[in-house]
Amino acid sequence: MTNFLLSHQALLNLCIINAVLALSQYLVLRAGVFSLATAGIAAIGAYTAGNLMLRQAVHPALAVLAAGLLGGIVSIVLAVPLARLRGVFQAIATLAFVQIVMSLALYSDSLTGGATGLNAIPKVVETWHLLAVLAAVVFVLSRLGKSPTGRAFDTIRQDETVAVSLGIDVVPHHRLAFILSGCIAGIGGGLMAGHNYSVATAEFGFHMMIAVLSFVIFGGLVSLAGPIVGALLLTILPEVARPLADNRMIIYGALLIVSIVYLPHGVVDTWLIKHQRRRQAALSAKSGPEAAVKASS
Amino acid sequence: MLQQQLLNGLVTGSVYALFALGFTLIFGIHHILNLAHGAIFMWGAFVGIYCVTILNLPFPVVLVIAALAAGLLSVAVDWIAFRPLRKAGYSEFSAIVTSIGAGLILTNVAQRVSHTEVMRYPFGTFPIEIYHVLGLRISLLQITIIGSVCVILLALGFLLFATSFGQRIRAIAIDERTASLLGVNPDAVYFQTFFISGALAGVAGVLIGIAFNSVHFLMGEPYMLRAFVIIVLGGLGSVGGAVIAGLALGVVHTLTIAYLSAALSDAIIFSILFLVLLLRPTGLYGTLRLQTRVARV
Repeated sequence: MTNFLLSHQALLNLCIINAVLALSQYLVLRAGVFSLATAGIAAIGAYTAGNLMLRQAVHPALAVLAAGLLGGIVSIVLAVPLARLRGVFQAIATLAFVQIVMSLALYSDSLTGGATGLNAIPKVVETWHLLAVLAAVVFVLSRLGKSPTGRAFDTIRQDETVAVSLGIDVVPHHRLAFILSGCIAGIGGGLMAGHNYSVATAEFGFHMMIAVLSFVIFGGLVSLAGPIVGALLLTILPEVARPLADNRMIIYGALLIVSIVYLPHGVVDTWLIKHQRRRQAALSAKSGPEAAVKASS
Repeated sequence: MLQQQLLNGLVTGSVYALFALGFTLIFGIHHILNLAHGAIFMWGAFVGIYCVTILNLPFPVVLVIAALAAGLLSVAVDWIAFRPLRKAGYSEFSAIVTSIGAGLILTNVAQRVSHTEVMRYPFGTFPIEIYHVLGLRISLLQITIIGSVCVILLALGFLLFATSFGQRIRAIAIDERTASLLGVNPDAVYFQTFFISGALAGVAGVLIGIAFNSVHFLMGEPYMLRAFVIIVLGGLGSVGGAVIAGLALGVVHTLTIAYLSAALSDAIIFSILFLVLLLRPTGLYGTLRLQTRVARV
């Protein structure tokens, strides 16, 4: 087991970083914000942490923290125009944001190294660091998810009108989800900088956006395990089946279509729903409908 | 010099308009943001260049074949990515995700077919003739581009606003359910609009391919992203707005490249998009007020 883990450490690390980014995307989608900004904010985080570590010799932990902080600040600014839009228009606006970040990253050579990127960043991030960050993010999100705020997120996602009629203030909830998601994306980007030796524009942008979106859609966007399982499966799948690796994008594309059409809740959530139904059926068979009502409430 | 750049900008802009028109048509009529449109455009260019290099067909025939092929491809995307969602009645976000998936598959197949190469038209495919009008240089190719775009736009305007076919399409755009109760077959309209939209993209693909003499599998992405700017600027779903915004974007793009910097032009264009979304999300022709804004106070 240890041997297996050691030989696949790089893959494991990649899975964890992807899971962190997936959680950033998951948070906004769960709250009903159609934001695709994760890829852009992760790029900002990565360049921030990379610069701090490479040029200012800042302690890596502080650099990653700064990346998360900056991600949050950028999201606070971005949340203002976003609150005025809905649905598809939020998606377009955030897509534009990602494009602005990418073209500025290519343009400002002195800060980002342009097309060659930042190189020779010391690799300081170990697997247990990544695991600790993932655990912290999962902890915060699970506390949030079980709180009234989390339930408000679910209501807003399912029906905004109903949410408003229940007295839920939509804008602050959207803003909270978006800003937290930005922090997580910044931290994810910072981890990438400390782990990959380099930061290059090609890693972010459209490709990352698609990958992160697939993780969440494939895994499921209600339970916390959804995006993590999605990130694990979709990162490992092309590595396990080598011939598939060349067609990674075809796999992602087909998975996006198939999972939206046939598994609209994602792998994990579909399984959870089935599991819950079975338990309820078992309960109601045992002791009448009252117990089933009690169990479901 | 400035006039010359303006002219060049208008020529590029007219192709942008053609591309964005198909995109905005699908959004205006079916409320679907078809992110696979860029890939369909790219396949139009591919069909065009293969017709010339392998089959040696004359240019007008190539245009027609590329339009037909891209139109059918667009219908296929509708059947695979959108029709199952319509049957199940899912949200607009699902359609964005499946169209991203369809776009990924098409792009990846194109990469395999072209072996990741940039393809060029053989010398002399299009006669190089340059005329001097009012002190401006204008090539036969530019005249052909503007001419074919004008013809297509007029035909489309006639089709949409002066025929019973256009009436059916506009009825579906206003309310699909009511229209189908009144005897309009929505499936037929979906087929027709997706075909028209794809054919427009196909023609744009051939024209762009021959104008810049470069065809490769990633060529759809930048146009797709610029089409966002065009349709938001012109008002999502507005045909006239898309044409005007397309021309304007072509001019802005050419002028920034000529006088500022090619690297910055994308950042400028997307900042325009962001500003428009912030200040006037309904675009130049504000018809979709309810759909862009959040209904909350």
